Amino acid sequence: MTAPAIQVQAPLIQLNGITKVLKGQEEPRTILSGVDLTVHPGQSVAILGRSGSGKSTLLSLIGLFDRADEGQYFLHGNDITKLPERKAAALRSAEFGFVFQRFFLLKHLTAAQNVAMALVNGQGWSSRRKRKQQVMEALEQVGIAHLAKSKPARLSGGEQQRVAIARALVRQPRVILADEPTGALDTETGNLVVEVLLNTTRQGCGLVLVTHDHDHARKMGRVLELRDGRFN
Amino acid sequence: MFSGKLRSALVIGGQGIRARKLRTFLSMVSLFLGVLAVVTVQAGAEIAERAMLTDVELQAGKDGTVTGYIPGEKGAPGIVEATLKGRADAVAMISSKAIIGEPGLRPINEGGMPFEYANRGGDYQGPMVYCDAGGVCQEQKPQEKKPDGQAIEVSMVALTGDIRPFKPFRPVSGTWLDFASAPSLAPRIVLNEEAAKGLRQYRVPGEMMIDGATHHVTPQIVGVVEDGYPQPRVYLRLDELRTWMPAAAASSELDRFRGGGTGLEVYLQPGSHDLQQLLKAKLIGAGVDQKQVEFRVVNSKERMESELKIMRLIFLGMAFLVLLIGVAGILNVGLATVGERVEEFALRRAVGMSRMLLAGIVLAETLLTGLLTAALAIGAGAAGLQIALTLFGHRFPSLQGTTFPWEAGVAGVIAGLVAGVLGGLIPAIRAARIPIATVMRA
Repeated sequence: MTAPAIQVQAPLIQLNGITKVLKGQEEPRTILSGVDLTVHPGQSVAILGRSGSGKSTLLSLIGLFDRADEGQYFLHGNDITKLPERKAAALRSAEFGFVFQRFFLLKHLTAAQNVAMALVNGQGWSSRRKRKQQVMEALEQVGIAHLAKSKPARLSGGEQQRVAIARALVRQPRVILADEPTGALDTETGNLVVEVLLNTTRQGCGLVLVTHDHDHARKMGRVLELRDGRFN
Repeated sequence: MFSGKLRSALVIGGQGIRARKLRTFLSMVSLFLGVLAVVTVQAGAEIAERAMLTDVELQAGKDGTVTGYIPGEKGAPGIVEATLKGRADAVAMISSKAIIGEPGLRPINEGGMPFEYANRGGDYQGPMVYCDAGGVCQEQKPQEKKPDGQAIEVSMVALTGDIRPFKPFRPVSGTWLDFASAPSLAPRIVLNEEAAKGLRQYRVPGEMMIDGATHHVTPQIVGVVEDGYPQPRVYLRLDELRTWMPAAAASSELDRFRGGGTGLEVYLQPGSHDLQQLLKAKLIGAGVDQKQVEFRVVNSKERMESELKIMRLIFLGMAFLVLLIGVAGILNVGLATVGERVEEFALRRAVGMSRMLLAGIVLAETLLTGLLTAALAIGAGAAGLQIALTLFGHRFPSLQGTTFPWEAGVAGVIAGLVAGVLGGLIPAIRAARIPIATVMRA
């Protein structure tokens, strides 16, 4: 008898020894120092830390907003450490969904149009009908399809954040990167938003949540704390 | 792939314009004046050129026409008349003098001058000496002074066919000469405006004395045209004139030096090389000096274009200065808008938009604004021209039938595009340089 083959799936995200130094007018300051992190599909990770500990910087490196000074970054096992900007933009569109503390909804657009913004980004083109269908599915996923035609000014904070989450989900990303998504919300609404985000992991999506809130962090699969540019 | 980027740029650009209607409108106002200035200068130059060309064409003939000036001696008029008879591609004009009015009197505008200058000159009638090319001079005895009376002197132009395909005379009243009908005993004449003015002003009797004619004739006036000549002129059919002049009189040397006598002008359609050769051969065969039989192609447009070029460049330069003010306006608004939309642009990049496309969107917005403004300025220019023509067109006959020149439309579109690019380029570059991490630090 032969032993059943074990399929080893490559991690969704793998960071090895990531270092980031902030070079400004003052003396260079090391924000991240040799950070290692692995995120698997369907896994949720909370990153805790004090202000200035490098949480958001780490998230911006994972989301390809910025480049690390040292270390390696693998996505699905592929080294994307030195990816050119054009390809990075394509990856941001295809692989990542972003949720921020401030919702960044465009006030002149409706909720549906704000969600569609992630589809009209020059990375391919789908018909208006298909876009509408994708947008409505994303809004339904976060439970606010009935508010599709509302403009941000008419929505509550929680509803606005859910629109922002729908915008992050509309392209069916592999990873959601959320930077203090409950920071501007009350506890109850914040819990609701965290639930919505956790739901995405049940469909195989990875979640990296940067937060100050220990209650929300405890709901995640793993909790990491950044201190002085390193995970404790 | 390109289609997706282009469509995205247009969709987002359109959203941006709709979201900032007032700002877009304000940037359009300054740009509008600049584009309108370019459109106006271009349209004005085109119309002025056409008007000038039309006026020149009245005298010199349409561009491309082949003209020949032939001395009216050694039977040349008869040869030319016989050669061109029945041809539609060539017409000869035989000029002479005639006096309309009471016989035996001194015409009001002696010498056929415009009536404005009539009776202004002195009364000197002393001896005059004329010399030919060979240096042989002869004295002309002073003519006996005739008594003043109701008569006017005109240049009389006899035609072998319809001259209008070569010289676009503008009808003023009545009709033009009918060359299809049988010749009339009473010659039908068409006056130019100056001749009509003389007849109207001095109310002369309708009797005409033609140089070299055997009898006085009573003409029928059938119409009035604008022919571009300041002197009074009448046009008539050569075959109707022949009834009264059995043979074309050859001008004497003296007449030619005086500018009088029979002069011959021939107008041929472009490409009539064979006919030119035929005429030359016949005239030289009849003894006309070869050097005096010359044909040339009318090329007024090219000559005028070079004259107008400098003026047009000066005005275009001024228009572009106005356009630059518009560009500065759109640039100012563009930079302010980018500053206001930093988070939006950072967010768009965060969701996968490339730097290039983001710059393209900003550029698309200013280009759309520029094109929209150009369309409005072109529309305003065309409407303004139409209104001006309706109000003042009757004062300028050469502008009759003028339409908005397409060159002005093209210039307006180019000005709009250039303004859009110049005004949008720097904001586009700034937008593309916004770091995505802006959204993380907000």
